[in-house]
Amino acid sequence: MVEAEKVDSIEFKWGKKRGVGGKKKDIQFYESFFYDGVDYTLYDSVYMYKEGETEPYIGKLIKIWENADKTKKVKVLWFFRPREISNYLGDEKTHRNELFLASGEGVGNANVNPLEAIAGKCNVVCSSKDSRNPQPSDEELQEADFVFYRAFDVGNCRILDKIDEKIAGIEAKFLLNRVGNQNSSGAPKLDSNKKEVSGNAVATDDTRILAKKESYLGDKAASSSGVQFDEVAKTNERQVLVEEKLKAAKAYGDLDDRSCKKAKLDNLTKASYDNKVKSMQKLRHDSLGNSKAVAQITPASEDKLRPDLTKDPHETNNALSEKPKPDEKLANGKFPEASLRQPSEEGSETNYYKIQEPIQRPETDRSKWFRGLPWEERMQTAHEQGTLVLLENLDPSYTSAEVEDIIWQAFKKSCTAKMIQRTARSSPHYGQAFVIFQKREVAEMAVAKLDEVCLMLSNGRPLVGSIASACFPGKQSTFFGHLTINKLRIHMQREMVKIILALTTLAHTTGNVLVYKLCCVPPPSFFPLIAVIERCSYAQREAVSTSHCSQPNTLEYDMAMEWCLLQERSDLALRKLRQQQGQELRKLRVTLKSK
Amino acid sequence: MDSTSTAETDYAVFLEKVKRTVYIDNLSPQVTESVVRTALGQFGTVKNVQFIPNYTGPKNIPCCALVEMECPRQAKAVVLEITQFPFMMSGMPRPVRAFRAEEEMFDDCPIKPGRRIQCRWVDRKDPDFEVASKIKRLVRKHAAEDLFLLQQQLAQEEKLAKQQDETLKANYKKFSIIDNVVSDGTAPGLAKLYNMKVFDA
Repeated sequence: MVEAEKVDSIEFKWGKKRGVGGKKKDIQFYESFFYDGVDYTLYDSVYMYKEGETEPYIGKLIKIWENADKTKKVKVLWFFRPREISNYLGDEKTHRNELFLASGEGVGNANVNPLEAIAGKCNVVCSSKDSRNPQPSDEELQEADFVFYRAFDVGNCRILDKIDEKIAGIEAKFLLNRVGNQNSSGAPKLDSNKKEVSGNAVATDDTRILAKKESYLGDKAASSSGVQFDEVAKTNERQVLVEEKLKAAKAYGDLDDRSCKKAKLDNLTKASYDNKVKSMQKLRHDSLGNSKAVAQITPASEDKLRPDLTKDPHETNNALSEKPKPDEKLANGKFPEASLRQPSEEGSETNYYKIQEPIQRPETDRSKWFRGLPWEERMQTAHEQGTLVLLENLDPSYTSAEVEDIIWQAFKKSCTAKMIQRTARSSPHYGQAFVIFQKREVAEMAVAKLDEVCLMLSNGRPLVGSIASACFPGKQSTFFGHLTINKLRIHMQREMVKIILALTTLAHTTGNVLVYKLCCVPPPSFFPLIAVIERCSYAQREAVSTSHCSQPNTLEYDMAMEWCLLQERSDLALRKLRQQQGQELRKLRVTLKSK
Repeated sequence: MDSTSTAETDYAVFLEKVKRTVYIDNLSPQVTESVVRTALGQFGTVKNVQFIPNYTGPKNIPCCALVEMECPRQAKAVVLEITQFPFMMSGMPRPVRAFRAEEEMFDDCPIKPGRRIQCRWVDRKDPDFEVASKIKRLVRKHAAEDLFLLQQQLAQEEKLAKQQDETLKANYKKFSIIDNVVSDGTAPGLAKLYNMKVFDA
């Protein structure tokens, strides 16, 4: 049982044996060992120091063995620090000592290392609300060096909220908290047949709710988390579930969780749903430092707890969404936004296009049932019929409705207008709009009149009108800047060349197309970028469609830089032009005698 | 008054949406909505993707789109990331550009509350007529200048693209030669002959 060795001056002793393995049955697996003053057991979390790195890696020992040549090895399943996967976390906030368990298939999941690379034991507690995970107590969470409740899939490069059943061949129960290692803290075992909503999902949803400033958007999140919480709200047992989730979620010190928890805890002290609602509303008033957060959470929470109630609690927050009249639903095509405006009273063709009503316009034939066609079609027909007019020299901040009003004021004719959306290239000095008149003669008359006599707008802008020769976006085939190689598409950098050379034995003729996908950075790797090269005849399209940030060590980066340079030059030229144009305009405007 | 308050709230809502939206430029016409969605989905949740149609310019300028993210923070992160690193979509190596969106980029901008537009006809007798006509001519001139500049820039882009294409093909040829030499054993053979090590992975 005991093999005592002195490795240099570091004490080492094998612990419990586990079994033998290997081809010649000469590999001895162990369950524990004593190294440098510390006892290690299988599935412990350890620090691994790599030379040159300031911070140690953290991993879980999932296999310990000694080879026939007496070398001792451990297989380590890695935890990612948030900064290592910051690209995939995006905007999400992570706790100070949060880790992500590596999961999924792929490079970077786990590695074999010499046992001597272990630098120390580490206390990593799993705070996942998973039913398989024995819940840690508050003290344990406080004392822990690190916590984790999420995983990072190295294959898909995605954050997973739920720990997989098996990672790297190890069952989840070994990866989560060990039973018996902790006092259960009175947290009851959660039923496994309840649907698995992990508390982290709550936390993430809540953070998302918080992040939104707009209430009706918060409503959407509320309804999605409302769906999740629907079942939660139903039974008392589930309320306990929620409470515990929040209790543990509280350990992260997130403000949103705290407020949510307070809300929920308050609820649990009272018996009925009604009381809960009242307490919610009470909480609405005592801000926990972020009144917006509470206000956002409360409609969300209300939604969660009372999904079938009338909209009364939502009235204040969702007043906007309640307003639209039934014929608002005519929105289609180009205007799918939830427009909260009232239908216009003007013109038969404006029903698809809802505007406010501050300006009096005669009620012409208003056909409510008429569904407006998408703008592009109408523009096209108008163009063919000759009723399309291009207006220039508008104030760029005008809206389409205002343009229609102007036309009405000037010509006493109704029309439909659409401001041309500004792009980075458009001039900031003036805006343009397309106007569709009812009849061709009207259009021509308008243009003629605009030519002869000036129509001055409020800030010294004479309107310029012309029969529009609109250019419709067809299928553009020419786009400069995307290069392809017919046969093979490889990014040449040193490491890439190495890999390709290694794989040329696999690749047959150059008729095959090799592509690559970039995946995440595994900690103990040597290459800054590891590419998984797949071979597939249509995969080139896939690689092209994988949008990515180019790394500085690729050829494409250099080319991209050239494009950036060109872009900068163009921008500079454009800016200068705009400046000049602005000056010319101003000079002339100044000479206007009346404004 | 009810209508003014709704107008204000509309506008506030709209402004908020503007804050959350990213304007992306230099897109290839082959880029579809799903591509944009997945691409920017790496930075956060994409709520909406809307391409800005090009009705007035020449046919072959790059496309642009408005991408609505879930919160202004994500929008800022997107813009920051894309401006710092060349982000490529649907093809390499031309990177896309990203800016914070502005109100006028949207096509469903609600009316700014409290604004009234007046207009009046200015005819020949009016003293301002001359100036007004001049301004009109100026506007037309500017439009022509814009177009000209745009065409120039397009020509430059084409030149750069061609140049890069040639360089790339040349490099590729070189590398494939190296490839072949190594793979078919010539290089290791020569290496043995000269007592050198092959550059291996």
